[in-house]
Amino acid sequence: MTTTTAQPSAEKKNTAGFFIGLAVVIVLCFVTRYFYNIVKPMTLPGGIPGKVLEYPIWAAVIGLIFNWVFKKTNVHERLTPGFKTELFLKVGLILLGGKVSFKVLATAAGGAIIQGIIMVTCVYFFSWWLAGKFGLPDTLRAVMSTAVSICGVSAAIASAGAVLAKKEEITYVTALVIVTALPLMVIAPLIARAMDMPEAVAGAWFGGNVDTTAAVVGAGTIYGETAETIASIVKQTQNVLIGVVAFFLAYYFVAKEGEGERPSLSIIWQRFPKFVLGFILASLLFTFGVISKDNTSYKVIQNIKAWFFCAAFVCMGLELSVAEFKKMGWNPVIVYLIVTLFNTLLALGISYLIFGWLFPVNL
Amino acid sequence: MKLTEDWLSVIIGFGIIIVAVLGVLQPGWFAF
Repeated sequence: MTTTTAQPSAEKKNTAGFFIGLAVVIVLCFVTRYFYNIVKPMTLPGGIPGKVLEYPIWAAVIGLIFNWVFKKTNVHERLTPGFKTELFLKVGLILLGGKVSFKVLATAAGGAIIQGIIMVTCVYFFSWWLAGKFGLPDTLRAVMSTAVSICGVSAAIASAGAVLAKKEEITYVTALVIVTALPLMVIAPLIARAMDMPEAVAGAWFGGNVDTTAAVVGAGTIYGETAETIASIVKQTQNVLIGVVAFFLAYYFVAKEGEGERPSLSIIWQRFPKFVLGFILASLLFTFGVISKDNTSYKVIQNIKAWFFCAAFVCMGLELSVAEFKKMGWNPVIVYLIVTLFNTLLALGISYLIFGWLFPVNL
Repeated sequence: MKLTEDWLSVIIGFGIIIVAVLGVLQPGWFAF
């Protein structure tokens, strides 16, 4: 009796939490826009132009501030259902597809496939080896290696399913991913600017180096329009590899344990990020002139895209949590940071090689 | 079939694209 009445009440609470959380995100997007537009024309102390503070930085910082406020007032957990980082980001990426010609997509994806295969293989096995040296359990090694080599949160979840990792291992790695990705989102464009990196190379570097798609897009947006496009294509190409890695991981763990069902190839399709199909389709609409730069539709779509990206960046700040670290100790953090450094340096060299020399992209 | 977040994003994204292409929306309404 208690269960039947408790369940609908919990569901009701969840639905209410979703709508209130969503409303909070929308309000914070307006707050972000307000500060971004106020500061943009200003000159900051030290002669720094205000436009350097692009909206992803404002959104993440405002998200972080309210994350702290909501936790202090004990309402954070209730609002969490409305913090839909991945959904906002995916819609934004599909809309971004509406300004990318298929030729650019094909050229960049060609380079991104080569970059992705090299990066994912090298970073995955380096992380797996290093985590072994630090004595981390195999399931945590698998989840962490997939997260750092492919694409943060969604890859961590996909691999966790394949290797049957513990729930706390997923939350732990997810927290690690966001904690490192947020500062990288701001630092990587600064380094790129200091190195006078071409936008396409910088975009490829962000795509190969920063761990979550949201932070990749954020870094690209901060650096420039071309960087945003290339970073998004490179990251999405890597995301497509999630299914393949999940398949091999499931296969390895079944073979190692000697029990359980052999994974079928259908896992590759199951784990395939379907929103990438939306991105490709939107790009085709742009290529065939259905969405044209001369029409208002182009501007409308790109303006709405900025709102969705902003919501994703706000949610990134809202979702950050470091409480998990205390539970598992600092060894995994050290491994993760060393691998991230390795990832960053390797991605830098490969991006220059592929996008600066082999597949130069001109938008 | 369960509607996953992936497919939901495709539906929302294309909903916006279709409405935008039909010319119902004005860019000024969504200026960031």
